[in-house]
Amino acid sequence: MIEILVISFGLSLLFASVTNMLKSLIRILVMQGLILFLITVLKTTHINWLSFSFIALETLIFKAIIIPWFIMDTIKKSNTRRETEPSVSNFFSLALMSLIFVFGFGLAMLSGRWSTKLFPLEFGVAFAAMIKGIFIIIANKKLISHLIGYLILENGIFLLALSAGSHLPYIVNLGVSLDILISILLAVLFINRIKSTFDDADSPGLLKED
Amino acid sequence: MFWILFGFPLVCLFLCFAIKSNKQLDMLVFAHSILTLSVAILAYIKGAQIIRMDDLGLFVFIITSVLYFAVALYRFGGEAHKELKAYRIHSMFLIIFVSAMTAVSLSRDLGLIWIFVEATTLASAMLITFDHNKSSLEAAWKYLFICSVGIALAFVGILMLVIAQNDPASLHLGVLMQKAPELSPFWVKMSFVFMLVGFGTKIGLAPLHFWLPDAHSEAPAPISALLSGALLNTALLPILRMGKLMRQCQLEHISNTVFQIIGLLSIFVATVFILKTKNFKRLLAYSSIENMGIILLAFGSGAFAHYAGYLHILGHSLIKAAFFLTAGNIISLYHSKYHKDVCGLLMKHTPSGWIWLIAFAMIIGIPPSPLFISEFMIAAALLKSGSYIQLCLLFGMLIIIAYGIGKISFKMCLGSDVSAQKLSPQKVIAPAWLLIMAAILGLWLPQF
Repeated sequence: MIEILVISFGLSLLFASVTNMLKSLIRILVMQGLILFLITVLKTTHINWLSFSFIALETLIFKAIIIPWFIMDTIKKSNTRRETEPSVSNFFSLALMSLIFVFGFGLAMLSGRWSTKLFPLEFGVAFAAMIKGIFIIIANKKLISHLIGYLILENGIFLLALSAGSHLPYIVNLGVSLDILISILLAVLFINRIKSTFDDADSPGLLKED
Repeated sequence: MFWILFGFPLVCLFLCFAIKSNKQLDMLVFAHSILTLSVAILAYIKGAQIIRMDDLGLFVFIITSVLYFAVALYRFGGEAHKELKAYRIHSMFLIIFVSAMTAVSLSRDLGLIWIFVEATTLASAMLITFDHNKSSLEAAWKYLFICSVGIALAFVGILMLVIAQNDPASLHLGVLMQKAPELSPFWVKMSFVFMLVGFGTKIGLAPLHFWLPDAHSEAPAPISALLSGALLNTALLPILRMGKLMRQCQLEHISNTVFQIIGLLSIFVATVFILKTKNFKRLLAYSSIENMGIILLAFGSGAFAHYAGYLHILGHSLIKAAFFLTAGNIISLYHSKYHKDVCGLLMKHTPSGWIWLIAFAMIIGIPPSPLFISEFMIAAALLKSGSYIQLCLLFGMLIIIAYGIGKISFKMCLGSDVSAQKLSPQKVIAPAWLLIMAAILGLWLPQF
């Protein structure tokens, strides 16, 4: 069951490479949030129920509901164009994503020799999600796409956290909640205010050096 | 002692709400800085154990507390015209920022260190946006976003360190050091690279440096001094601790090579931008990137150069903080951050002009600057290990950087300006005190 969920997570990354619509990317975030919630429920049953319910609820509420809703709301309010306007073509993006998967699994196979704790499938997909997140940040101009890229990166890290330990150390949990906090802060503090300060929420003006 | 260190800031935060004037806020921050400095001095005299720190943590904590004291003194009474509500939030975040840095020095669990480094990012982003203008918002956005990505990668490094261990896993540094022989070398190496990139983003190491000049130049001068002098060291701390773990795992040849490459790359980036920058605060920010590169190079040049690394951290923090505080003076005198608008500083405000020139001389390593000794020792270490190419590259770039900073500094200080102006005494005392301390340390070398 977990394998099927992880594979769906991987497929969502491939889908993210072929879509140009912000709305679809947000749907992907919701889907990933739900998948991570299900994996959490299936994998972390052996820890005490309080900690378990905190992690599971946090994953469901933040990753699958609040943050995607918030980004959607920001897009609507700020009249941002609904396309991501990537600087590379979809074909290139998809080809690169496939290569990233190959690299991720290659690394997982290599690492499988070192550690028995690790599930290569999960590691490969998590690693690919991290790279994909960074790729979205680099290849897009919109601030909102950067934020979506960051959240995909974070989802990958969460999957890796689930993969790394058969039990979740409390520190992983704290880390994830702090990451969520920062996403909210980024959104609340900056998107609205940058929108009001700048003519539009594109970032080229922010990336100039000197 | 431990509870005072964190209990007092908590009380201060509550007191901030009751305070009704900017001056009282300044007094509160000043009181906090005195307390932090007293604890640091006491811990130095009586031993780091009284605040449950190790020596490396105490070293960074002492630098932070000295700089915080100078900054609190510098800003005392300087912002009376600011709106009370905004200034209250600014002061509260300043207290949170310093407490978070203290907590990083104190923690010996990598998970906790990670969380507190994240907390310093959040608090300092609020401090950078104090002026609420377009460029400070840009800078804060860039800072927050790039550092969040960096900190996420550092977290991956921490997860990899968990993977590297057999059960029961721990992130406590003491336990990790004991477990070093049985850690999986593959995962420790991976973890090291991710942590270096992650925390390195926060230090402004190339190629993830591009937020640093914006953040350091757009923040108010006292905040820039803390960002450059204290926060960079704090973020360097986990990397140094990982370096120790790599040595313990017999993997130092890898960490040394990576340190050297990234160190030289950072110095190179700084060299290029120092020559073309038009903003003197950005100039100082690029100089911070350069010095962080030198520090990394020192830690990558074998055990002999480690002392040089620590001395360079100390010297750079004191001198750069003095430099940034003086930059604040210049901005309040000329109302511009561009060096083309600044001329005749020695005539307009003589003490600031002299402090600027002395700080320039000390940052490029002219004795009695501690940076002279540290750079000399790095050169010796590089010679000893036969790294002649690195040595030539380093000193070639240092000469270009000295030329770049010197050209602008002399242009700013010399020339004629008839309208002499006065500044409040603490605006001179604070940076002068830091430079005097740096000079004393350069003459009586401290033992680490």
